[in-house]
Amino acid sequence: MSTISETDVKTRMRALDLIKENFKRLLDELDKSGKLHLVFPKRTLSNTIYDQKSKILLLGPDIQYRSFTDINEAKKFTQTILMASIIYKALRNNEYPTIRDLFYRGKHTISYTSIDGKKVSENSWDDQRESDSVIRDLEVFLNILREDLLILSKEKGKVVGNLIIKSGDDTIDLSKMGHGAYAIEPTPDLIDFIDVDAEYVLVVEKDAVFQQLHRYGFWKKNKVVLVTSAGQPDRATRRFVRRLSEEFKLPVYILCDSDPYGFYIYSVFKAGSITLSYESERLATPTAKFIGVTLTDIFGTEIFKEILRDPQIKNTLEEIAKDVLKLKSKEPYLSIEERRNFVIKAKLRDIERAVELVGYRVAEACIGSPEYRSKIKRKEGVSGYPWFLTPEWIRELCIFFYTTSKLEIEAITGKGLRFLADIYIPRKIENEDWID
Amino acid sequence: MGAVLMSAISEEKYMSISPAEFFYKYREVAGFANPVKAFYQVVKELIDNALDATDMHGILPDVKISIEKADEVQEYYKITVEDNGIGIPPDVVPYAFGKVLFSSKYVMKQSRGMYGLGVKMVVLYAQMTTGRPVEVITSRENYRMIYYFKLRIDINKNEPVIIERGAWRKTRDWHGTVVSVTIEGDWGRAKQRILEYLSRTSIITPYANITLITPENEIIHYSRVTNAMPKPPRESKPHPRGIDLEMFKTLINNNGNGEEPVEEFLTSNFQSIGPSTARAILNLAKIDPYKKLHELTESEIQRLFNIIKSYDKYKPPSATSLSPLGREVLEAGLKRIFEPEFLYAVTRSPRSYEGNPFIVEAAISYGGNTPMSPQEQPIILRYANRVPLIYDESTDVVTQVVKEDVNWESYMISFPAPLAIVVHICSTKIPFKGVGKESIADIPEIRREVKLAIMEVTRELKRYLVKKVKEKEVMRRVEILAKYIPEVARSLAIILGDNSSKNRIEAALTRKLIEYVSRRSNVSVEIVNSIVKSVKIGV
Repeated sequence: MSTISETDVKTRMRALDLIKENFKRLLDELDKSGKLHLVFPKRTLSNTIYDQKSKILLLGPDIQYRSFTDINEAKKFTQTILMASIIYKALRNNEYPTIRDLFYRGKHTISYTSIDGKKVSENSWDDQRESDSVIRDLEVFLNILREDLLILSKEKGKVVGNLIIKSGDDTIDLSKMGHGAYAIEPTPDLIDFIDVDAEYVLVVEKDAVFQQLHRYGFWKKNKVVLVTSAGQPDRATRRFVRRLSEEFKLPVYILCDSDPYGFYIYSVFKAGSITLSYESERLATPTAKFIGVTLTDIFGTEIFKEILRDPQIKNTLEEIAKDVLKLKSKEPYLSIEERRNFVIKAKLRDIERAVELVGYRVAEACIGSPEYRSKIKRKEGVSGYPWFLTPEWIRELCIFFYTTSKLEIEAITGKGLRFLADIYIPRKIENEDWID
Repeated sequence: MGAVLMSAISEEKYMSISPAEFFYKYREVAGFANPVKAFYQVVKELIDNALDATDMHGILPDVKISIEKADEVQEYYKITVEDNGIGIPPDVVPYAFGKVLFSSKYVMKQSRGMYGLGVKMVVLYAQMTTGRPVEVITSRENYRMIYYFKLRIDINKNEPVIIERGAWRKTRDWHGTVVSVTIEGDWGRAKQRILEYLSRTSIITPYANITLITPENEIIHYSRVTNAMPKPPRESKPHPRGIDLEMFKTLINNNGNGEEPVEEFLTSNFQSIGPSTARAILNLAKIDPYKKLHELTESEIQRLFNIIKSYDKYKPPSATSLSPLGREVLEAGLKRIFEPEFLYAVTRSPRSYEGNPFIVEAAISYGGNTPMSPQEQPIILRYANRVPLIYDESTDVVTQVVKEDVNWESYMISFPAPLAIVVHICSTKIPFKGVGKESIADIPEIRREVKLAIMEVTRELKRYLVKKVKEKEVMRRVEILAKYIPEVARSLAIILGDNSSKNRIEAALTRKLIEYVSRRSNVSVEIVNSIVKSVKIGV
């Protein structure tokens, strides 16, 4: 019996055929139309659109023609073909390269003698950003995810819960991981879900918080599949969460820091990321909800009413999101004293990131610190991501700008792990106190 | 040695010393100031004469110069110059070499030297320093004899003294002149100057074979690269606007017995004066056209001269007395010395200043073996009547034009550059600055022509440079594509082939891609292939 799992063998054959087919077509076109170019959807910010209906980021209709005879594209063209051949070779040799491996396998010098006799040399690529970029181009060109080309990446995400899966040729019970957890494999599509017994999925941004909740028995008590992305989520974690949501109709709640970075991590889970928008259809979980920590969890909504007393702020916010005044009011989870202890001051970097989320106008209207006001001036014209321009998010970020405060989730555990696990999370879910 | 000396000599009758004596006393003026300058001047005069005797008469020059040490102790050198020119009639030889004289026949014609005056200076200088006589061997084309003379000049009497003479039958078909003089000079320090002069001369005489044998027995040889030669100049009468009062008086005084009517004198001695112009002038001068020359009073002569000079309806002077080198000669000369990447020459139409016709020619040499220019200007090679001007560059009108009138940057040129500009000015009267005869004065008409000539050749260079930049850009594009062909072919062969077919597919793809790039860029398959062949991957 082969040591390689059957799923891998099948995946490999499919990938080899796909690559061969596509490049054969490339040469057929050269013979037919006299053109040598790769045609695939453009992977640029301007061709990334937010689909209001499905609530995910998608590639737009723009097509890229990467022609070998376009001197600005010739190198990229060559890099793309080179990368395809390296991946093809790895597939044929039963290998599982990482993107870093692929970078090294293709890195070499190309030297030649120019017409005036000079020796010239350059590298096929100089840093991994270049090779990573052509891998993404190939995914789009071949219409396949790199995981299905058996390209591996570092495992980052972890999961525990009442869930039985089949990975490779083995069956694994994720409720029997001891103090550890199952590391989500880079090819989550090759996993078979055998059985699941859970009410919802909770994704925690921070690994430390995941471990605390795990040891506290949170997932057993609440029948939860507990996942952490350990910071920015990788593709495997996102795909894994998406499958849980899609295949078992489980609600997905995301728990992050209360700062623009946390907000963005949530949006990556929910809508997809800009650089990988071509994968959103398979990676995004449009039903995911931001459970916390929100600014209104910290400050309540009273402060927002205060802010709106300024007619200018009120008008600006209403113009951007009409229903911002109709939002429900609520009490804070923290006392004034706790707030003073746990909250930290936002840095300029945080403020700038927040401007990218909701746009310059909200920031300009709400920001409390005159120092930051002048410094973010250069972001003028930034209009924000459409999926953040909802009344709920505008209220959150308005409070953020006004107080220039942020809160790390560890601070909540500072109030007591019991508070987080037994009060904060269950109550928020019970009250449907989340942002969708 | 110029104007000063010449007019001094033409005033012969007003001076109490003979021209020979005059030169003897004022030799610095003629360029014989010290043993270095004198050496240079002697060689230059003899070569100029040799070339005048050939190319000015339609003969392709073969000129041999030999310089040898002529005394064991003293710094005496014997200089022998041989040409294949028209030769000198034997009865003229003693006067051509032994009497400082000035032709009274006023005809205008471009030449290197001034009526052979220089060679007499050479004879006198030899006499002064070594006391040795000049030796001349000469024959003309249709002569059956070759004539031999050894002679010196009686300085006080200004007469030739023949020491030896002889003649022998020609055994071969030879014509030309061989002149030998022995002078005292400083060869060590004159050598560089002489070589420079020779090299500069060779640039504009690509139709000449010139050989120099130095005292060290080095042989410097410039061989003929073209048979094209400029058309020889024709003699012409002076233009009225180009004449001065002394010249005018000499013409009147030397006119036979003076019985000629003044109207006829004007029409027969000047160009651009026909009967009606002569009448108009005499009418303005209030002189009877039939008055005989010897009857003219001093004040009438003065009045007539003033009217002639101020009259402004003459036809411009004729340029038949000029002999420009022409494009072909200029380009052949520059090609021989610099093998340039780009070369262009132009001969402008004749113009005139103060009644003197002149033609400006310019040539440009770029790249190849053209030497690097100085920091702020091109290399300037100046010539006047086919004589190279080597010294006093900074005061010359050509230098002024190069520095002040031409915006080099607008021609895509920044210095230093491998760039040389040749400017040749030919005229029946070159307006030299000072006695050195090494720089030309800033005459507005000449400056304008020099500017236009330089701009014309530089414009052509610019056109070439623009084209080159464009071609380079095409090549750059081809290189960018061609260098990736092996990588693309190899990668595609890995995907499309198996172990047995991989190499075949790679070769076929390489060929296909080369043809593809060649077709898209309009560059030959061979050139694309040469780049592809040079590509090395991962070495």
